[in-house]
Amino acid sequence: MASYDQVIIGGGLSGLAAGIRLARFGYKVLILEKHAIAGGLNSYYYRQGRLLETGLHAMTNYAPPVSKSAPLNRLFRQLKLSRKKFLTHQQLRSTIYFPDGHALSFSNDLELLRGEVARLFPGSINRFNSLVELIDRYDPFVNRPWRSAKDRLHELLDNERLLNMLLWPLMMYGNCNEHDMDFDQFVIMFQAVFLEGFFRPAGNIKDFLDLLLGHYRALGGEIRFRAPVKHFAIVDKQVNTVVLESGEEIAAGQVISTVGYPATLQFMASESGPAETAGYRGRMSFIEIINILPSEYRKKIRSDETIIFYNLDEPFDYCCPDEAVNVNCGVICFPDNFHDLAPGAEFQLRVTHPANYQVWKSYAPEEYATMKKLWADRSAGKVGEIIGNYREKVLYQDVFTPTTIEKFTGKANGAIYGSPIKLKEGTTPLANLFVAGTDQGYLGIVGAMLSGVTMVNKHIFKEN
Amino acid sequence: MTRDEIKDVILEIIQDIDEDGEVENLNADEPLRDQLDLDSMDFLDIVMELRKRYQLQIPEGDYPELASLASCVNYLEPRLKDV
Repeated sequence: MASYDQVIIGGGLSGLAAGIRLARFGYKVLILEKHAIAGGLNSYYYRQGRLLETGLHAMTNYAPPVSKSAPLNRLFRQLKLSRKKFLTHQQLRSTIYFPDGHALSFSNDLELLRGEVARLFPGSINRFNSLVELIDRYDPFVNRPWRSAKDRLHELLDNERLLNMLLWPLMMYGNCNEHDMDFDQFVIMFQAVFLEGFFRPAGNIKDFLDLLLGHYRALGGEIRFRAPVKHFAIVDKQVNTVVLESGEEIAAGQVISTVGYPATLQFMASESGPAETAGYRGRMSFIEIINILPSEYRKKIRSDETIIFYNLDEPFDYCCPDEAVNVNCGVICFPDNFHDLAPGAEFQLRVTHPANYQVWKSYAPEEYATMKKLWADRSAGKVGEIIGNYREKVLYQDVFTPTTIEKFTGKANGAIYGSPIKLKEGTTPLANLFVAGTDQGYLGIVGAMLSGVTMVNKHIFKEN
Repeated sequence: MTRDEIKDVILEIIQDIDEDGEVENLNADEPLRDQLDLDSMDFLDIVMELRKRYQLQIPEGDYPELASLASCVNYLEPRLKDV
């Protein structure tokens, strides 16, 4: 039987980061990936000769190489990757768009947002500045109980519209809870998005994944693709072996699962019955529509920003819609709009809306295809009201639904931001099993990778 | 290993952790963290690198002994004397 010091389940960004960290210090480590390629939620596929990215709109936590203590640079040091050789493109500018023509633009320079808040909410600028100071000093990684970000922001800002506008992009990019957000999560996201900001790595997500995989293998790490896990053989409250769908058993000293807590509980369940996972299944899922448009059409629509976060609903509420999709709110992303990217013959427009997993799950195959078309069309109609009509110019379109997300990421209910119950410590009822990734409270690509690194540091390096 | 050899090993490890670290002008008695702008995650790498190279187990309670270059050398000298 093959035997490893550590087995990591999932070759997404948290799994790769954990693997690199372990391999770097000489541990014998194996990553088991269910699919044929790495990346998990942030991966890629090919259609009509184009490489299309999944997940990634932008990376958060931008920091120049000189800022040693910034999360991005700490991450690179921990993985022993050169930050200086890692080329990045910063965002141009993004906008939060609400009813009554309320719009706040922001970039990787906080002064833009500060000026916008002063212009649109002159009575609240002092309170906004105090909030920024508070967040600057705040350590969100201390293990505190869940606290309502809305309540806290009511006290701090005393302006419903402003607080909702600030919450909206942070919720869309990382909140697993409906209606409200944990204040610590809000702070993590505020730092990542407004204080640090958006960027893209040079090249595409495949280049980034290849960099990580090459590094991992060069350090002696092993990865197996198309190797789905079936369950754990448990002895004395420890994972003894990891059993694959193929029937093969792999002995593991320790196991790190990055596939989400509901799926991890299934691996732990005895053969007598399924695990109780209801409380850990998130409800926030999304639909994403990728549109490829001809380059010359760029000038015909509002396309000079990187990301537009829009909400037209009154009152504003971040939640799972009753219908299949809520097109009244969403994220419009132009992945070609980052500094110093050369324009190509085509450009991309990606649109994300909250969507209802149960509704999508209920469709029969034919109905499912029809509904994808129908909702992509409704989305284009609504988004067209904001940026101008593009519907007839789409050269290629693809749609991911909550069920697509569930299939490719293993996240129960397609809830990409994971379980509403966060396991900040990463421990489980089994002594040698740890979880990393979105169910831990870290968010985004940098967050997912830091989660993998932190769990290895804490539970494997310090304890052994 | 001699004290000088241990010191060189520590400097080499730090250089390896931080591509911009300027190790030439370190004050041996001042905390490394303050002089190099390292955090606790970087610091763990020194411990891990020593474990990898010399199979040396440093319990978490002893981490403060590695605070400065001089205290590192003092702590490691008896532990690496046969290396």
